[in-house]
Amino acid sequence: MKPLPSTSSKTPVKFRMPTSENLVPIRLDIEVDGQRFKDAFTWNLSDPDSEVSVFAKRTQKDLKLPLAFATQIAQSIQTQLTEFRSYQGQEMLTGEKIVPIKLDLRVNHTLIKDQFLWDFNNFDSDPEEFAKTFCNDLGIEDPEVGPAVAFAIREQLYEIAIQSVATARESRNAKKGRRGEYSSISSRSTGAALDLMKLFSNRYSVVRKRKEWDVYEPMVDILSNEEVNALESMEERKPR
Amino acid sequence: MASTEPPAAVTPPSSKPNLLPLASTTIITPSAAASVAVAPTASSSSPATPSVTTPRPIPSDAEVVHIPSYSCWFSLGDISECEIRCLPEFFDSRSPSRNPKAYKYIRDSIVKQFRRNPSSKITFTEVRKTLVADVISIRKVYDFLDAWGLINYSPAALNKPLKWEDKDSKSSQHATDSPAGPSSDSTPPVRETSKRLCGSCKSVCSIACFASDKYDITLCARCFVRGNYRVGLSSSDFKRVEISDEMKTDWTEKETLQLLEAVMHYGDDWKKVAQHVGGRSDKDCITHFIKLPMGEQFASSAEFGSSINKLNQMKDDNNISSSSSPSKRLCLSPLADASNPIMAQAAFLSALAGTGVAEAAAQAAVTAVSEMGQGEPKADIRSLHGVQGLQDASITSNGSGILKSVEEAHSGVNPKPEEKEKVNVEEEIRRVAEVQMKQIQEKIMHFEEIDSQIEKEWKQMEQMRDILFYDQLNLLKHERAIRKSGQQAAEGVRTQGDFVS
Repeated sequence: MKPLPSTSSKTPVKFRMPTSENLVPIRLDIEVDGQRFKDAFTWNLSDPDSEVSVFAKRTQKDLKLPLAFATQIAQSIQTQLTEFRSYQGQEMLTGEKIVPIKLDLRVNHTLIKDQFLWDFNNFDSDPEEFAKTFCNDLGIEDPEVGPAVAFAIREQLYEIAIQSVATARESRNAKKGRRGEYSSISSRSTGAALDLMKLFSNRYSVVRKRKEWDVYEPMVDILSNEEVNALESMEERKPR
Repeated sequence: MASTEPPAAVTPPSSKPNLLPLASTTIITPSAAASVAVAPTASSSSPATPSVTTPRPIPSDAEVVHIPSYSCWFSLGDISECEIRCLPEFFDSRSPSRNPKAYKYIRDSIVKQFRRNPSSKITFTEVRKTLVADVISIRKVYDFLDAWGLINYSPAALNKPLKWEDKDSKSSQHATDSPAGPSSDSTPPVRETSKRLCGSCKSVCSIACFASDKYDITLCARCFVRGNYRVGLSSSDFKRVEISDEMKTDWTEKETLQLLEAVMHYGDDWKKVAQHVGGRSDKDCITHFIKLPMGEQFASSAEFGSSINKLNQMKDDNNISSSSSPSKRLCLSPLADASNPIMAQAAFLSALAGTGVAEAAAQAAVTAVSEMGQGEPKADIRSLHGVQGLQDASITSNGSGILKSVEEAHSGVNPKPEEKEKVNVEEEIRRVAEVQMKQIQEKIMHFEEIDSQIEKEWKQMEQMRDILFYDQLNLLKHERAIRKSGQQAAEGVRTQGDFVS
């Protein structure tokens, strides 16, 4: 069995979400007059900015929030979109990049814990499709879980993409300076990714080691009302 | 011994009686089970009941969902052309996440979610929290379904009073009918003392306000002028609503009597009428005059004959003349605000054409359409005529709709004994319209006769042509036969001659 080639394509690629559609994960956490509004959803970057205020107004109206929320929501969305766009011109390094994605979220009464590997280099990947299949396979009844899962995946991919932009910049600067530092840089840039060599180091089988089985197995738990209340109060206390 | 009766343990409960499972196998066809399961859902998602008909007897365990008749193309099974036209971004493969499959997923999820609880309106935010897709795609599909009445369509909306009437009657209806409706201006269901709150600055609207029914928003005059509304709306989406009018009390009997007297004296001169009534503007007078009850409770009496005729004429003028703006809006309003642009255009055309013409034309088209529907083969002339009739028909149906709504408006107001003279006005108008409709109907029948005659003659011509062709053919045959026999004879003679010689 030939060892995998260590020369991976380090050609930088323009920044984008490594998914088939360039959807941006948006997180809202707004507090006005003691009322807190938290939300998370995905936004399609190709939609015009006029949609932002329409969406904000709609959300505020549907949820019967006080009026000040609409402007705050619109502002928050706009800020995050601008931030995303600011990355867009830059380059990011991709290569053999298998990243672990961790799910650890609570949506209403459903608690989800999971971990799996995602190919960061696959620009045709579809977190939405994954989330739908995930919910179907695990028989999750709450329809709000699907979007939350898709959002969590996207958020993590987004963070990794940002990191890879930073490392690309570093490597470019380093390239200008020193020339013999390729190996250290390359190992740094794949810091978030698992080394493929290590992953497949067990030459006799591709089956995962037993001790890692629990980690990679999805766990869905339905909580009772009291547990939900307890968790919520804990969550609220944490940032304060 | 192989018996025909299936062993009891094997027979699945849901299978059809003529399914004989083999003795050894116990295969239960999944299709049998599946078909049973589908039936309840199929009956629960029963489609269009047309918007203005008496309700059908509802089956005992199915939930009936109403959708407007202009949306009857909709089906959960596939995507219709209408949807492709209205939401092209899902079908032009420009963006990988906006494809027909995603569209169908979003659309079906929204519709199913709404139909689980059809009595309450479903908000956009509820929907987008449960769908795995980007929020703008969801918003587009939601708006589309909302506009076509496939979600959040309540039959109570059909009996909405005409737009130009008091806004508080509409808002009071909102407060009473849809209990979960997210009406931003929740008003107490009392006609006189309804307050309107501005959607953006949350102040009580005092003099005039602007309402947009498309997005269900009310703005005070200040916010409207400042442009303090969402992006996506334009100033044309808003209609002006006078608050000071709504605040006034009902017309007293004395005022109504004065109004009638004034109308009889001054006819169309509403300024003088307003002066005579005192305390009411001319618009108010016109408004109230049209609202006066024309119910069947009041028997017509001969002594009011002349006054009735006069009022008749005035009513007619009011209904058809374009000088009085409320009546014009009366003509326009039943469908002018419909989200369907086709019906809005039909309403506009009917307003231009006038009620009588519109009614007559609609009747003509209705008969023409019903005959077209029977599938008789028609010549081109006929189909053209039918198309023409169809165009007019839509206008006329609007016209008859106008009359109906006028009637409703009248019967809605409490009848007053002094207005017995008004009884026949409605009837006269109706009679006039009927006569005109009959005229047009006769014309249509006449044309039909001519049409059938032309067809007969055409068929005769064809037959004659066939006969002629047949004759020609025969002639040719004979000719050829004769020629052949002639040749043969000639040859026979020659050979004989040879033989002889």
